[in-house]
Amino acid sequence: MAALAVTRSGAATRVGSTLTTADVARSTIVIAVVLVIQHTLLDSVRVGGAHPDLMLLLPVAAGYAAGPDRGAVFGFITGLVADLFLPTPYGLSALVGCLLGYATGMATRGLVRSSWWLPPVVAAAATAAGMGMYAILGAVLGDPGMLKTYLVPALVVGTPSAALLAVPVLRFVAWAVPEPGPGHGAVAGGGGGTR
Amino acid sequence: MTIGLLVLASIAIITLDYRGQAHGVISGAKRGAHDAFSPLQRGVDAIARPVGRFLSGAVHGGDLEAQNAKLRREIGALQRQTLITQSTRNSLRALQRLNQLPWVGATPTVTAQVTALSPSDFAATVELDKGSGSGVAVGMPVVGGAGLVGQVTLVWSSGCTVRLVTDVDSSVGVRFGSGGDLALVQGSGLGRNLAVNLIAPGTALHKGEVLTTSGLQHAQYPPDIPVASVTSFSSTPSATQETVSARPLADLDVLQYVDVLQWQPSP
Repeated sequence: MAALAVTRSGAATRVGSTLTTADVARSTIVIAVVLVIQHTLLDSVRVGGAHPDLMLLLPVAAGYAAGPDRGAVFGFITGLVADLFLPTPYGLSALVGCLLGYATGMATRGLVRSSWWLPPVVAAAATAAGMGMYAILGAVLGDPGMLKTYLVPALVVGTPSAALLAVPVLRFVAWAVPEPGPGHGAVAGGGGGTR
Repeated sequence: MTIGLLVLASIAIITLDYRGQAHGVISGAKRGAHDAFSPLQRGVDAIARPVGRFLSGAVHGGDLEAQNAKLRREIGALQRQTLITQSTRNSLRALQRLNQLPWVGATPTVTAQVTALSPSDFAATVELDKGSGSGVAVGMPVVGGAGLVGQVTLVWSSGCTVRLVTDVDSSVGVRFGSGGDLALVQGSGLGRNLAVNLIAPGTALHKGEVLTTSGLQHAQYPPDIPVASVTSFSSTPSATQETVSARPLADLDVLQYVDVLQWQPSP
């Protein structure tokens, strides 16, 4: 729960794994900006009925940039916000988001991040996994069409677009969601860096 | 520890929404979010729409090339009609069609503009610019120039979400033929034909047969709204029903203006 703690003393007093109010403000800006970009620009970029999904890329980027715990928290909050605008069951994106942020953080922890291709590959793989998880959970909740009908077009469009958008999104999220401490590897290879 | 708590919290939220216990709170939050976001979205949309069109065009390059060649041939003819812009005339025609829908009858309508396509890859919906402030309510049917478009599923003060007939969760009771046979039209995903179920083998059908809403008791739609036309049908000896496919009459790919019928399903 250390990742959930927020100090009131501003960015200059970050200690250990606590988040500062400046971190929270930056995270809010990131979520709001990405939400606006998603609904004003990317929703209209449709191929086969599907479009790129930046909101699913946010927890992936947070897990990659800041580790499993912060990835999970950021993914949960991002999912709750995304669900406000989606017709699918409320909380589904939050569940997928926290699992995706956590899993991405765990899977990439300890990786040497000097390769330029690592962020796109991680983003594509994690987005595909997240969409699959989303569709399976939706089917379990009584909407089998999410798995049988919508998943394939979503994967075909969402996976390559996640790879294309990985680097800018990762840099943006790394600006907002700091690493919890010296234990987590530095973000490189297009993923921003320690500040 | 953190991930465990977050997963539990997510499952609790999903369960409360699924069982309807927090439905009011969640619907209220969704309405509030849409109300707060709509003005911002419209403002940004006005600036960003050209960029969105560019991006959309970039992924449809092949289609655009063919369309471009066709348009070049038509430029000469169009230059004689430049007093009114093409988009204005298209809008006018769409609105005129909506004013003359024979199946609407005396039902009051609210004419609305489509403002956004589905925000989810896992549902076929559109958003309109008219909401509870204009008399739109959940459950109202939505029609386009040629037929049924869908049904309102979420309303906020300045807009609403419409589930299209092509969504996999959409089911419409229909009637067809001179005998008034009944069937059920179900969505198969955005851009795909509809599946027509519950038609007995050997039932007289022909391509182009128009399916209209049945309007039976407790129906979700009033009667006689055209829904789709039959595109193919087949049957095997052991089948319990015909395999029938139909195309929505309303062109859901280019929706611009629609009518919301102020008609509520009977409880």
